[in-house]
Parts: sequence; structure tokens; C-alpha cells
Amino acid sequence: MTVTFVDVDVRAILRAGGEPFDKIMEAVNTLKPGEGLRLLATFKPTPLLHVLGSKGFTHEAKELDGGDWEVLFSPSGKPPANAASPGAATVDKSVWPEPVQHLDNRELDPPEPMVRILATLESMAQGDVLSALLCREPIFLFPELAKRGHSWRGAFEEDGSTYKVLVRVGAAKEAAA
Amino acid sequence: MIGATLSRWTMSYFAAALVALMTAEGLMAAGYGYPAAAIEAPETLILVHIVTIGWLSILMCGALFQFVPVLIARPLYSDALPLPTLGLLLTGLVALVLGFLQLAGHAPAHFAFFPAAAVLLGSGFALVLWNLGRTLWSARPLPLPARFVVVGLFSVGATVFLGIVFALVLGGATSHSHFVTLTSAGVPIHVIAGLGGWLTFTALGVSYRLLAMFMLAPELSGVTTRGAFYVGTAAIAMAIIGGVAAVCTEANLQTVLSVAAILGLGAFLLYARDMQHIYRARKRRTIELNSRMAAVALGHLAAVVILIAVLLSFGALRQHIAAVVFLTCFGWLSGLGLAKLYKIVAFLTWLECYGPVLGKAPTPRVQDLVVEGRALKWFVLYFVMVWVATAALLLGEPLAFRASAGVILIATVGIVAQIVRIRRLADVSATARLPAGVHAPRLLFSLVKPV
Repeated sequence: MTVTFVDVDVRAILRAGGEPFDKIMEAVNTLKPGEGLRLLATFKPTPLLHVLGSKGFTHEAKELDGGDWEVLFSPSGKPPANAASPGAATVDKSVWPEPVQHLDNRELDPPEPMVRILATLESMAQGDVLSALLCREPIFLFPELAKRGHSWRGAFEEDGSTYKVLVRVGAAKEAAA
Repeated sequence: MIGATLSRWTMSYFAAALVALMTAEGLMAAGYGYPAAAIEAPETLILVHIVTIGWLSILMCGALFQFVPVLIARPLYSDALPLPTLGLLLTGLVALVLGFLQLAGHAPAHFAFFPAAAVLLGSGFALVLWNLGRTLWSARPLPLPARFVVVGLFSVGATVFLGIVFALVLGGATSHSHFVTLTSAGVPIHVIAGLGGWLTFTALGVSYRLLAMFMLAPELSGVTTRGAFYVGTAAIAMAIIGGVAAVCTEANLQTVLSVAAILGLGAFLLYARDMQHIYRARKRRTIELNSRMAAVALGHLAAVVILIAVLLSFGALRQHIAAVVFLTCFGWLSGLGLAKLYKIVAFLTWLECYGPVLGKAPTPRVQDLVVEGRALKWFVLYFVMVWVATAALLLGEPLAFRASAGVILIATVGIVAQIVRIRRLADVSATARLPAGVHAPRLLFSLVKPV
């Protein structure tokens, strides 16, 4: 089966310091059956590979000359896994408000970054957004966020060593309601 | 669902593994197996398999069920399989031990222990490969540390395959000529695939991630890391595939293994450079006991490489192979295993108990679960006595070996006692131990609430 690919180039948004997640998900949601997505980014978007993987896409990532990345997402023909699970796998098309809390946890020993994020979230109001910088993907944080009904979006920054995560308090509960 | 949760049965694997370790050390102290018996004697083989399957492989499987999901940020394929898998591995080990006792004439001859061991261990490891393989398959393309694990899994497959061939030939279930030749000439391949390809190579891959994580060091994926992976994989493939081909075609196995050894040395040097970089570039200046003891274990890996090189240059490797295997199992693999267990048990216990209430109630830190000063003396005693025991083997002093094995057992019991205290939260102050909503952890498994 030949797949036609819809191009989405988010390099300009990334270079301007923007967050292209909404644009990508918008493009994914307008794909016709059998269509794939050709994404151009300034780094390898590892978390996005997982998000689209859970929506039933396989991917093929390659580094282009000049350090940019091209990722081809093809529909695998399988139904999306974990469609009902909360968190990043849920397609949340809404635009999130600006973060009200900023944490820089890059110099903290594990698991302090997780402790600080969860403690700060407890003091925030429903719908508020927290932004945190970390030195790696917070693998053990995500299940805890899901249990508490928070939503998150995260990715490595352009430098490839800082991981930025945005957490919205109670957003998963809201979306499910 | 992105992320990794607690593996329910990992603590059961760790407990079973530690019991096997202490059993093996007790047997060595009692003078069972080499050097009192011959190196190929059933008694020695019992000892070796209690160490390599009962302790090291079960430890590694338990750790992988927890840490492969961390390496690839994906959940484990099945949380239900690890328990029956552990049952198969343990009963398979018992059957194997009985099979060796049969060879020694100490067990009734009419039971088919070897074929039973082949079936039980074969299915146990097949379930390990299936579960971890499905987990890894879903996360392609894999990050480098996970690729080390994949090569490790292929190697355990090869080790078990050869082991099954040996068991079926020794148990009289087959007399196929290639299988018989493999049984008589293929033992070095079985040992290299198990200790090198499975246990060492997997440990190298996981160490890239764990050491970087616990010391706030950069994650490596550059030329040296890729080089260590490709050259190491070539060494293992040469030893296993080339080795089996050489045995079956009656070519020179020695030549094949020499090429594999040179490749293995190259991979080790690249890996050593990476580890030096991780320790030097770490952001965390004072490092915890587990990272210091892991460095000591890495030093023992270097010592193993040097010992092999020295013995080869004197043409005495075959004569002193027991010392090499002992130093590999106890200085390098067990040293690293015990050091990492000390951290992993504390971290997983902390996450299991306090994760649900983080931010909602005051909680202890992970380091509040451990008393490093107390554990340090047992680790020092352990490593010093491993050197004494290795020297005793090299010098042919069986009594000194037994005595040092006895002290190694005492040191291990000391470390295990610390790990049990961690699991029991015994060193957390009584007021901080159980905030509202926190349940005391069970010793042998984790209470995991579904997400």
C-alpha cells in the first residue's frame, strides 16, 4: 500500500521558541484514512513518536544534512492503543493558558524533580499550568500525573539535553467529563 | 500511557536471587565443588549454575522487567507473566541440580531430571524473551542502552539453547552427532555466551543509563558508545555463531575465540572510556555508595580483562580458568549487582510507599531509607575477600579459598540485612515512616495500583 504524506514543517516555530504540538495534532486529526504525515523538525521528537504510536502510527525518523530531522508517520492499520488512557496520549486540542509556575529542576538529584513538581501542583488551581525544566524525561512522574488526573505535554528542547514538561492541573479529568 | 510503573514481582526476583547467592557461597565455604572437586565435576557444575542461573540471571531478569520500561519509556508488555516465569526458572534450576546429582550418582537414576530441566528452563527463559522482546519491539527505533539489552537477550537465548543441547545429550534424550560434538567441545561457547553476551553485555547497556541517571551525568550516544555496541556485538556474534560453526565443522575453535577476544578487548576499552567520561562529567560531586561500589565493580571488570591477558600470555588460561570465572562472577557481576540492588531497592520502595502521597504529605527522602556507613563496611569486606579468594584459587590453596568464601558469605549476609532493613523502612524515623495514606511495603512483592 502506498501512503501519501501530508507535509508539516515546524522548524520555523521551533526556531522562534514556540510550541508546535497543537499544530502537529491538528494536522494529524485532519488526515484522511490511509494518509501519513511527513514532519520536519529541528530535533528528533521522541515523545511525539510515542504519542503518535499510541494513535496507531508507525514512524521512520532520519537525520537530514544540517542536523534537522524528517519523520515519516504512516498509519499502521491497527486501532490506536490505550485510546481511553488519560494523559499525553489523549488528544487535547485546546490551547493551554500560560504557565503560572516555572520550575528549573535540572540540577536536582532524582527523584527531587518529581517531588517538587508534585508538591507544587498540589498548591495550584484547577486548569492552571506548570512548566518545569528537567535534565531527562521524567519516566516515573507520568504515571503519577495520570493517577492524579493531570495532563502533560513534554519534549526535549532544541539543545537535546533539557526536557521541558508542561502540566495542567486536573485537565485529564476535565477532558474525560 | 507513556512512562514506567513499578514491576510487581521484581522484589520476588531479587529475594530468590539473593537466597541463591548465599546458598552458593555457603556451598563454597563448605568445600563443595571446585577446587575440592574437578572443574568439570557435577558438584562444580551445580555450584556454577546456582550462581549463574539462580543468582545472576534471576537478578538480571527481575531488574530488566523493571528497567527495560525505563530505558524505552514504555510499559512492560505483560505484568502477569513474570510470576509464572520465576516459577519455571526456579523449578528448572532445581531439576538441573538434580540432574547433576544424578550424574554424580547422588540422585535416583530413573527420573528424567535433565530433560525436565531443559523444558522448564527453556520455557522460563522463552517467557523472559517473549515479554521483554514484545516490550522492546513496540519501541523501535531503540535507544543505544536498550540495544545492548537486545544483544544480551539473543545471547541468553543462545546460552539456553546450548544448555538444552547439553542437558538432552547428558540425559540420554538425543545422540545426534552435532549435538554430541557440541556437548564435548561447546562448553567454552556456553560460558562466553552466558557470562559475556548475556550478563556482562546487558549490564554494560543498563549501566550507561543507570549511572548517568544517579550521578546527573550526560547520556552518551556518541562514537565511542556506538563503537562499544557494534564491536561488542561483533565479539559476541563471533564467539557464539563462529564458535558453534567451528565446532560443527571441526574447524579450530581456538582461532575463532581469539578473534572474539580481540574484538571484546576493543569493546571493553571503548566502554571504559565512556564510563570514565560519565564519572568525570557528572554534575553530582559527592556520589552515593551505590555509584562508588559500582565503580569498584567496574574496576573488577578491568581486572578480569587484565587477568585473562596475563594468563593468555603465559599460556596458563586453561589451567586458571576457575579464577577467571570466579572473579567475573563475584568481583564484577555480583559486585555490580549488589551495589545496584542497594540503590534500586531503596528507590523502588520509596516510590511504592511515598509516590502516591508526594506533595500531599511530608515524606522522607530516598536517602533516608539507607544508612550508607553501615553498608560500606560490608561492601569493603566483600570486595577484599573476593580478591583473597581469587588469589587462593590462582595459588592453589583450597583451604584459604574456603575460608575466604565463608567471609564473603558473612559480608553478603551483612549487605542483604541492610537491603531487608531498607524494604522494612527500618531506618526511617518512626514519626516520618508512615504518613497518612501510606502502607508499609511487603517484603517480597510490590503493591501496585493500576493507573
